[in-house]
Amino acid sequence: MSSESYYDALGLPTSATLKDIQKAFAALIGKFSEESSKVSNPEYEKLLQAYEVLSDKTRREIYDSLLVETSPPALTLTVQSSRQKIKLTDSAQTVYFLLEVIPPTHATRSRRPINLCLALDRSTSMQGERLNCLKTAVELIIDKLAPEDIITIISYSDRAEIVTEPTHIKNKNTIISHIRNIQASGGTEIYQGLLTGIEQMRQMPLQNYINHLILLTDGHTYGDADQCIQLAQKASQWNIGLSAFGIGSEWNDLFLDQLVAPSGGRSAYIAEPTQIIDFLQDRIKGLGIVHGRNLRLKKNLPEKVTLQYGFKLLPFAQPLELEGSEIKLGNLEGKGGVSILLEILFHPQEHESKITIPFEITAEITEQNNQQQKLSAQIQIIHANNPPAAEPPQDIVKAVRMLNMYRMNEKVWEDLEAGHVGAAATRLRRLTTRLLEAGEIQLAQQANAETERLANVGELSEEGRKRLKFGTRAMIGQTMKIEDTHDPL
Amino acid sequence: MIRCKDCGASQYEGTLYCSECGRNLLHDQRQATDVLPFSEFAHRSPPPPVAEPEIINLNEGKPITFVVPSSRHRYTILLSTQIKIGRAFEDDSENSDPFLDLTPDNGMELGVSRIHALLQWSNQGIIIMDLNSTNGTFLNNHHLPARKPYPLQSGDELRFGELLVHVFF
Repeated sequence: MSSESYYDALGLPTSATLKDIQKAFAALIGKFSEESSKVSNPEYEKLLQAYEVLSDKTRREIYDSLLVETSPPALTLTVQSSRQKIKLTDSAQTVYFLLEVIPPTHATRSRRPINLCLALDRSTSMQGERLNCLKTAVELIIDKLAPEDIITIISYSDRAEIVTEPTHIKNKNTIISHIRNIQASGGTEIYQGLLTGIEQMRQMPLQNYINHLILLTDGHTYGDADQCIQLAQKASQWNIGLSAFGIGSEWNDLFLDQLVAPSGGRSAYIAEPTQIIDFLQDRIKGLGIVHGRNLRLKKNLPEKVTLQYGFKLLPFAQPLELEGSEIKLGNLEGKGGVSILLEILFHPQEHESKITIPFEITAEITEQNNQQQKLSAQIQIIHANNPPAAEPPQDIVKAVRMLNMYRMNEKVWEDLEAGHVGAAATRLRRLTTRLLEAGEIQLAQQANAETERLANVGELSEEGRKRLKFGTRAMIGQTMKIEDTHDPL
Repeated sequence: MIRCKDCGASQYEGTLYCSECGRNLLHDQRQATDVLPFSEFAHRSPPPPVAEPEIINLNEGKPITFVVPSSRHRYTILLSTQIKIGRAFEDDSENSDPFLDLTPDNGMELGVSRIHALLQWSNQGIIIMDLNSTNGTFLNNHHLPARKPYPLQSGDELRFGELLVHVFF
C-alpha cells in the first residue's frame, strides 16, 4: 500500500469537512476526463478509493483511527543506564538512569499563542529598586511576545489587584501605562495573587493556548502555603504551567519548589533585581513552541528496586516530586529535549537474574491536536557472578557529579535543622573542595564564607543558602547544556 | 557496600560519587573488582546446614590453610577439635584452642568481630558456624544464619564482615 494517505491524495488536512472532500474530489477528478487516462492508473484508483472512504462517515471514522497509529511518533524516548550488569552480592546497589525525550528533527516549528500571566509581588519590601527593575523587565517582556499572545498582569500584597485583564499584546501602550501605576504596600500573601491570576487566565479558551503563570515574590507567604500548593495542582490539571522566582533572600525556597512541581515548572533565585529581566526572558524563550505538553513518567517499577531520587536536568535543573503514581516532567519546549536522571536502588538477589525496568512517559502532542502519546522504553539489568567492568556513559557521570554537589549542599541544611552544626560544617568544607575541583570558584568562595560563618555564629546566611542552592542547581543545567547545542530560539 | 577512601562513609555499590564528601568512587570500584579471585569456587550453591553434627577430637591435627587475598597472608593451623576465628586471641589457660587472628589483615576496619566464627571437625566433615558476629559470616557469598553449622569444602570462600578468606584442606 502506498504511504500516501487518502487525505494526501485529495490534498486536504485530516480536519477537512465533507464539503471540502466533495469539492476537492470534483476538482481532481476533472484531470481524468479521458477514458484512456483512467485505465489501470494507480493515481486515479487512489482518488476514487479516497473519495469512497472519506465521503462515508462510518468508513472515514475507521480510517481515521488507523491513520493515527501509522503516523510517525512525535517524540522519542531514549534511556541509558550507568550499568547493564551488576555483581551478585548480598547488599543493595545503585544504578543511575538517564532518560531523554526529544522532538523529531523534522518537527515543524509552528508557534502557538501564549496565554501568559505575571503575578507580581508589590509588598512594601519590593519598594524602590526591586519594583523599578520589575516594571522595566515586564515592559521588555511584552516586547518579546507576539501580537496574538495574551497577557494578564496581577499585582498582589495581602490582597490581589488586576493590573490588566487578559489582553492581546497588540494593545501594548495600555498595558505599559497600567504597569507603571503599580504601587508598593502591604505584606505578602501569595495565594491571593495566584488565585486571581489563574481565574483570569481561565477566561481564555485554555486549549488554544500555551498557558503559563510566572510568580515573582520577595517574601515568605503567611499561612496560605498549603492552599497555594493545592491550587497549583489544579492549575496543572487545567494545563496551566507555573514558574516561580524569588527575589532577595527572604522567601521560602522549599515552598517555591513544591509550588512548581505539579506542572513541572521552574523555580529560581534572583539575587539582584537587575537580573529579573534575564530570568523572565529565559523563561519566555521557546514557551510558545511546545512539542509535547504535560509530560509524565509512570512509576511502575518492579518490587526488586526502589526509586531513590529523581532530578530534571534539561531544559532546566529542577528537583522532581517523586510522590504519587506519576512524576510530572513539564512541557517539551522549543529549547530542546527534556532529560531526567533517576537513581534506583537494586535490592540483593539470590541468584543470577534479569530485572526489567520499564519506563513509560505520556505526553500530549501539540502538533497532533493534543493527542496523547505513550513513549516506552525498557532496560534490563542483569545480576551476574562476574560482570565485566564497564564504563558508565559520560553523560551520566557528569550529571551525577554535579547533582551530588547540589545534594551535599541540601544535606548541610538538613544537618543544621537537626542541630548537627559540626556535621554541617564538615560537609560544607568538603563541598568547598569539590566546587574548587570543578572550577566553580565563586560558589566555592561562597561555601567557604558560609563555613566560616558557621564556625563563628553557628548558622548560615539566608542569602548564602540560596546562592549555594540555586548556584549548584544552575551548575547542573549548564553542564548538561554544553554538549546539548540545540538551536536557540 | 563500599567504603569511601576519603571520608569512610558506607555507600551502595555502583554509587558514582560519595554522597558524604563527593569523592569519585568510580575508580575505586574498578580496582575493587579486580582484587577478588577464586571465582570458580565463589558461587557454589548454598549447602544445607548440617543436622546435629557429632564433634570429633582428632588425635593428630589436620592442617587447614587460610588465604587472605587482600593482605596476601597465608595461615596454616592444625585443627584438632576447633579453630576460632576473630581478632582477639584470649590467652587464658582454659582455652587452648587454636585461634585465627585476623587483626593483621585489617580485620578491625573490615568488620570482623572479636570472636566471629568457629571451625570444627565433625563426623560429617569440617563445619563452619557463625558466632553471632556483628557483620555476619558468608559462605560462597551466602549469608549464614548465626549458630548453625554448615559443611565446608576445600576451596570455599569465606567472608567475615567484609574480609574475604579462602580455606583449603
